[in-house]
Amino acid sequence: MMVLDDLSAGHTQPSSSFRCGKGGRRGRSRRRGRGGVHAVVGLNGAGKTTLMRLLLGMLRPDSGRATVLGHDARQAPHHVWSAVGHLIETSFAYPELTVRENVTSTALLHGLTGSGLDAVDEVIETFELGHWSDRRASTLSLGNQQRLGLASALVHRPSMVVLDEPANALDPAGVVFVRDLLTDCAGGGSAVFVSSHHLDQLARVAQRITVLHRGRIVGALDPGDSDLEQRFFNMVHRHDLSTEAWG
Amino acid sequence: MRAALQVEWLKLRRSRVTLAATALMGLLVPATGLAFYSVALSGGVGAIADKAATFLIGEGWVGYLRLVDQIAAVAVFGGAGVVVAWGFGREHVDRTFPSLFALAVPRGTIALAKFLVLSVWIVALALVIGFVALGLGMVAQVGPVEAGAAIGEIGKLILIATAAGILALTMGYTASLGRGYLPAIGTLMVVIVAAQVAVLFGTGGWFPFAVPGLMAVAGAEGAPDLHPAQLALVPAVALVSMWMTTRWWANSEVT
Repeated sequence: MMVLDDLSAGHTQPSSSFRCGKGGRRGRSRRRGRGGVHAVVGLNGAGKTTLMRLLLGMLRPDSGRATVLGHDARQAPHHVWSAVGHLIETSFAYPELTVRENVTSTALLHGLTGSGLDAVDEVIETFELGHWSDRRASTLSLGNQQRLGLASALVHRPSMVVLDEPANALDPAGVVFVRDLLTDCAGGGSAVFVSSHHLDQLARVAQRITVLHRGRIVGALDPGDSDLEQRFFNMVHRHDLSTEAWG
Repeated sequence: MRAALQVEWLKLRRSRVTLAATALMGLLVPATGLAFYSVALSGGVGAIADKAATFLIGEGWVGYLRLVDQIAAVAVFGGAGVVVAWGFGREHVDRTFPSLFALAVPRGTIALAKFLVLSVWIVALALVIGFVALGLGMVAQVGPVEAGAAIGEIGKLILIATAAGILALTMGYTASLGRGYLPAIGTLMVVIVAAQVAVLFGTGGWFPFAVPGLMAVAGAEGAPDLHPAQLALVPAVALVSMWMTTRWWANSEVT
């Protein structure tokens, strides 16, 4: 059971790293300097996905409060969500729709209208999906489905981005692409909250790395430190030992 | 709402389940009615001929279309129920449900949009069944066409098919609650059996899911008369289930 206490994600909580600037994507930076990448790492079952679900209003916390841009995540007005993009577990990819139709659908549901929908073709090109734009999502490889999910999450240029294992199923070029994407998102002023198993990749883009273990935050890693993997395991091991000692 | 309607309409149009259901019901319901009508009139001996004869109410267009009415009352409820169950349940089975959180369009609005596009599809399906029944009857020359009577009977068929389809919207709730289309399809079967039992016990008029079937046999010997309140239960049940479903979607969590 995950218990969140004073979890926050908005302007009103200075201690939070989820300060959100107005969106931006690759080469379209706005309000530089306000964004950042906050990574969360942990072993399988540590609670990373649960934490993200709480933040996106997908779950009710047993106690405490998850807030997004100053609003309770379960009751946030929908204009707040138009500033948020996310990819949790599975992509917004309906197998019967083409790539373009999927991205257009998510753009509409994110509140884009009229000329705002021009962003659809732009994001398809940015995510190198142009060749498959008129193909059904069901025919895409896993890697391209992941790209489609990322394109759908970011088509509306959100100022807050929540991504769970964004490099899943991607080839090495795709992993580098995601790394650059996160950097550009943050550079464009977006607050990026990302989870991954790849500490080395996270260390290259994140300004802050939080370690989650058995549903609790057990510490933080400095991305600049050497031998992050060893530090991570030490932290997790220390927590297990202290739990056993108290238990 | 407009964005949700656009997206849900696109999903419904692209769905193979919807296409297959439209084609199957649009053709098979009138064709089965015509086949039963032909068998009933053939004077043949055997279980199918005897059964067809018991369902026959009148001759010519009236007899043929009332057989189609009886088939439509059950088949459209079942077929539309599968499409409705798929429309709501697929979000869980395909694991797209989490993608519908944290959007500018509320989930309750998305659920309502699903109901609205499904309702339009149900009316369109009822019209297709009506016109195909008319065409098949003319091709098979089931009798002289009396414009007034034929239009009245076709109108009744469209109304019965629409009522059966509207009742199938209730499966949106069971598909949501059960987080998949299989629980809803199971419920659909139970409801079809329950409607038969309610009719057997003479209480079918107050069981909304039996009402389209009773509309189909209205006027036949021994058939109960339907009270306006019993007819009103059909849209009422559909509206209540829509309200419950949209509330479920608005308050739901990801599991």
